[in-house]
Amino acid sequence: MSPKRSDNTSVLGTLFRCEIKRLMRDARVLLISVFAPLVIVPGYILVMQWIGNSEEQRLEDTVYEYALSGDEAEWGLEIVSAALALEANDPDTSQAVVRFERQQVTNTDSLLQAGEIHLVIEALSPEAYERSRAEEIAADTLDPEEDEVAPEIEEGSDGGTAPELQLPIIRLRFRGNSDFSRRAHDRLDARIREVRSELRDSVYLAGGFPVGREEFASVETENTASAEKEGGALLGMALTPFLLLLMLSGGSIMAVDAITGEKERGTLETLLTSAASRSEIVAAKQMGIIAVGVVVVVINVLNLLAYLVLGLLELPENLAVALSLLDLVLILILFLPLTVLISSTLLLISGYAKSYKEYQIYFLPLFLVFLVPSLAGILPGLDLRSAIALVPIAGVGVAVREIMVGEYDWLFLAIAFASTAGASWWASRLTQRTLLTERLISSSDLDEADLLGGPALFPRHVLRWFVGMWVVFFLTAIWVGGELTLQGQIILNLGVIFLGGSLLMVRRYGLDPRKVFALRPVHPAVLLAVLVGIPAAYLTGIGLSTLVDAYLFPVPQSVLEAFGEVLLDDEIPLWQLVFFICVMPGILEELAFRGVLLHGLRKTWSPVIVCLVTGGIFGLFHVDLFRLIPTAYLGVIFAAVVLLTGSIFPVMLWHFGNNAIALVPQRMGWVTEETVFPEWVFAIAFVALLIVFWIIWKVSTPYPDLKKTRPREFS
Amino acid sequence: MAIANVKVEGLQKSFWDESRGEVRAVDGIDFDCQPGEVFGLLGANGAGKTTTLRMLATILKPTGGSASLNGYDVLADPEAVRRSLGFYSASTALYPRLTGRETLEFFARINGYPANQVNQRVEELIDRFGIREYAGARVGKLSSGMRQKISIARTIVHDPPILIFDEPTVGLDVMAALEMQNVIHELRDEGKVIIFSTHIMSEAEKLCDRIGIIHQGRILALGTLEEHRQATGKHYLEDVFVHEVMQAEDQSAKAMASPGEPRTSL
Repeated sequence: MSPKRSDNTSVLGTLFRCEIKRLMRDARVLLISVFAPLVIVPGYILVMQWIGNSEEQRLEDTVYEYALSGDEAEWGLEIVSAALALEANDPDTSQAVVRFERQQVTNTDSLLQAGEIHLVIEALSPEAYERSRAEEIAADTLDPEEDEVAPEIEEGSDGGTAPELQLPIIRLRFRGNSDFSRRAHDRLDARIREVRSELRDSVYLAGGFPVGREEFASVETENTASAEKEGGALLGMALTPFLLLLMLSGGSIMAVDAITGEKERGTLETLLTSAASRSEIVAAKQMGIIAVGVVVVVINVLNLLAYLVLGLLELPENLAVALSLLDLVLILILFLPLTVLISSTLLLISGYAKSYKEYQIYFLPLFLVFLVPSLAGILPGLDLRSAIALVPIAGVGVAVREIMVGEYDWLFLAIAFASTAGASWWASRLTQRTLLTERLISSSDLDEADLLGGPALFPRHVLRWFVGMWVVFFLTAIWVGGELTLQGQIILNLGVIFLGGSLLMVRRYGLDPRKVFALRPVHPAVLLAVLVGIPAAYLTGIGLSTLVDAYLFPVPQSVLEAFGEVLLDDEIPLWQLVFFICVMPGILEELAFRGVLLHGLRKTWSPVIVCLVTGGIFGLFHVDLFRLIPTAYLGVIFAAVVLLTGSIFPVMLWHFGNNAIALVPQRMGWVTEETVFPEWVFAIAFVALLIVFWIIWKVSTPYPDLKKTRPREFS
Repeated sequence: MAIANVKVEGLQKSFWDESRGEVRAVDGIDFDCQPGEVFGLLGANGAGKTTTLRMLATILKPTGGSASLNGYDVLADPEAVRRSLGFYSASTALYPRLTGRETLEFFARINGYPANQVNQRVEELIDRFGIREYAGARVGKLSSGMRQKISIARTIVHDPPILIFDEPTVGLDVMAALEMQNVIHELRDEGKVIIFSTHIMSEAEKLCDRIGIIHQGRILALGTLEEHRQATGKHYLEDVFVHEVMQAEDQSAKAMASPGEPRTSL
C-alpha cells in the first residue's frame, strides 16, 4: 500500500534542510565562496587604504625640487618666493604644507625628464616666450600639460595674450605621469595664482579702486544639508548595488548547485521521481538560495562593521548616518522582492544551464542586468517621482536613497515596491515553469509546447514580446521623441512599434489574423450600446481622474497644460488631429492590445485577470505616470468588451469615440481644461456605463477558448 | 481476474530534433502488469524503453495515449503516481554529501512516509541490505557496490506497490548484477508490480514473467517466454528477439517500398 502524503510544510522543510545540509558539507565551496571573501574584501580595502595612506605620506614627506630658468628668472624668483611664503604660512591645517627646494641647475629639461627634479619654472620675457613657442611649434613638441601664467592678465578677459601686451610669462613644466611632479605643479600653480591675484588687487588699490579687496574677493559657501543627510545620500546611493552584489554572489553559491549541479550529478531524476511536487522542489531551492544569500549579506556586513569597530578600516571623515526604525523597516520591505527576484532568476539560469560552465556563461550578463539598474540611485537628478519607479530594481535603488535622506514619497515608494515585486513574481513563475519542462531530463531541448510550436508557443511568449516592445517604445521616446512632430511620434509608436510588433508575432507564430485580431461580426445592439458607452466611460474616467488627483497623487498643472497645448496647436489641422489621435489609436492600439495581447493571454488567466493585465499593460505603454490610471481604466473596459463580444470592432469604435470626445470639444473651444463638471454628471455617467455593460452582456457572444477551469498541471 | 496495477494504452511520445524533425520515440504502445509480476521491456538501445518508463514515472509527458499506475492517471494525478512508485535507473544518482542513512530518511520523508515510522523503516532497510557498517558514511565515499545497495533501498524506502527498474544492471559487475536480480525476485515475491527494462537477453529470460519486445517505439510481441518460443519457433530469447526485429524491419521496408499501402499495427 502506498502510504499517505505528508503535509506540504513537512516536505518543504525536508527539502530545504537537505539543500542547506549538502551545502554546509561542501567545505571547498564554503571556504572559497563564503569565508575567503570575509578576509579578502576587507583585506583588499585595507591594503588599498594602506597604499593610499603610504602614498599620501610620501607625497607629504617629499621635498619638491624645482629649477628656475628663463631670461626673467630674477622676476620669477620673486613670484615663486612669494608663492612659497604663502604655502609655508598657510592657515588651513587640513592639508599638509608642501616643501620646495630650489636646485641651481642649467640642463633643466633633461633633469625633469630623468626625474631628478620635480618642476621647472620658466620666467620668460615676451620675446623669449615667442622664440620658445616658435621653436616648439617647429619641433612639434608642444606639451599640453604646460601651464602659462601671465600675472597681470585676467583669464578670459579681452585684454589679449601676455605677449601682445608685452608682459613676462611664468611657465610651469612638469611630468604628468609622476604623482610627485604633478603634486609639486598643482600646489605651486595654485599658490602662484594666489600671488597673482594679490598683485592684481594691489594694482587696483593703488589705482584708486573704490572698494577694498577684502570685500570684492570675499566668497562664502554654506551647505544647508545636515551631515546625516549628506551621509544618507552617499550611503543610499551605494547600499542597493552593494547588497545586490553580495546577494547575487551569495545566492549563486547555492543556485549553481540547485539544478545545474543536480543535473550534472544525475540526482535531479532521482528527485523528480519522488512524490515531492515541482512547486515544492522549486520553493525549497529558492528558500535555500535566499537563505544563503541573506546569510552571506549579513555576515559580510557584520564583518565590515567589525573591521570598522576594530579601527582596521576607516570611513570617510564627517560621514554620519541617522536611520530610524521606520527607515530600516522600509528598506527591508523594499529589499524583500529584490531578494526573491534575485533568487528566482538565479534558479532560472540554473534550470536552463546544462552544466556549471553554461551557468557561468549565463551568470555574467545576469550580473550586469541586475547591477546596471541598481546604480540608478547614483544618477544625478533622478527622482523617485518619475518613470524610474516603474523599473524593477532601479526603482528600489532610488527609493532606498530617498529613504536614507529622510524623504518619503509613499505612493512612489509603493510603486517602486510593486514594480520589483511584479518582476519577482514573474521570475518565480518562469522558474516554476522551467522545472516543468522536459529539457531538464530529456536530451531534447524542447518540451511539448515547443514541439507543437506556433500558436501553442505564442501564449508563453506574448508577454516577452510586449516587454520588448515597451523597451523599444521607452527608448525611442527618450532618444528621438523630442525630435519628432506629433504626427511622427504617432506613426513611430503606432505604425512601427505596435502594428509592426503585432504583425511580426502573427507571422512568427503562424497565427490566424482573424482569430488573433478578433475580427468577428457583432450584434448591432452592441454598437448602439457603445455609442452610449463612449460619453459614459469618458465622463466616468474624468470622475476617476478627479478622485486620483484628489486622493492619490495630484497631476501637475504643467502636464495638463502640455496635453492641452497639443490639442490646441493651431498648426495641426483638425482633420489631422482626428486622424492621428482618434483614428490611428482606435485601430492600431486595439489591434495590438485587445487583439494580439489579449489573444495571447486569454488562456493564461481568468477573464477578470486578463482584463486587468491587458489594461495595466496598456496603461504602462502611455509612459507618463499621470496617464497610467486613466488609460489602464480604459484598457480594462475595452478588454472586457472584447471578451464579452468576441470582437474587436466595438472597441475600435469606442476608442475612436473616446479620443474624439476628448479632442474635438476642446479644440473647438466648447470646453477647456478649467471646465468643471458637477458631480451628478459623473454619477449619471457611471450608471449609464453599467447599463451599457448590461446590454452588451445580454447579447454577448463571448471570446472563444477562454480559460474557465484550472488546467491539468503536470506537477 | 487480478486488478491491473499498471495499465498502458496507446502511449506515445514525440520529440523534436533539430536534424531529424519530429521523432516518435514511443509510438502507441499497450501493456498492463499485475501484482507479483515482473514485466520486462526488452529492446536495443534507443528502442524507447527509457522514454516509456519515464512517462510512467511522470518525468516526461505523453503526447498521446494514456497510462495509469495504481489507479492514478499519469497526467491527472502525477504526484499520486509517484507516491505509488519506486524508480531506479542507472541515471538516478544519490547525493554524495549525504550519508546512506540520511539518504533513506530524506527520500522516505519527501515520498510521504509517515514521519513517526521513518526511522524504523530506515533501520529495517539498513539491516535488510546489510549496509549498517557504512550507513553513516557519506555516499560519495562509498564503492559503487555499496552505493547500489543504498540506491535500491532508496527506491523502496516508502514501500511503493509499483517498482520500475530501468536497465538496473548497466555498469555493474557480475556479483552486483546477481544481487540486483535477487532483490527483484524478492520484491516480486512480496507482491510488488515490477517493470523491468533491459537489453540483456539472459537477464530478461531469468527475471521476467512476461516480456514485451520493443523496437522503434513499438511493442512487436508480448507474452511469456514460452509464448514467444511457440510464436517464433525459436528456443533462445536472443533468437526470438532477432526474429521479431527482422520481421518488423522487413515489414517496414515493404511499407516504404509501397507507400500507398496502409501501415498495420503489430
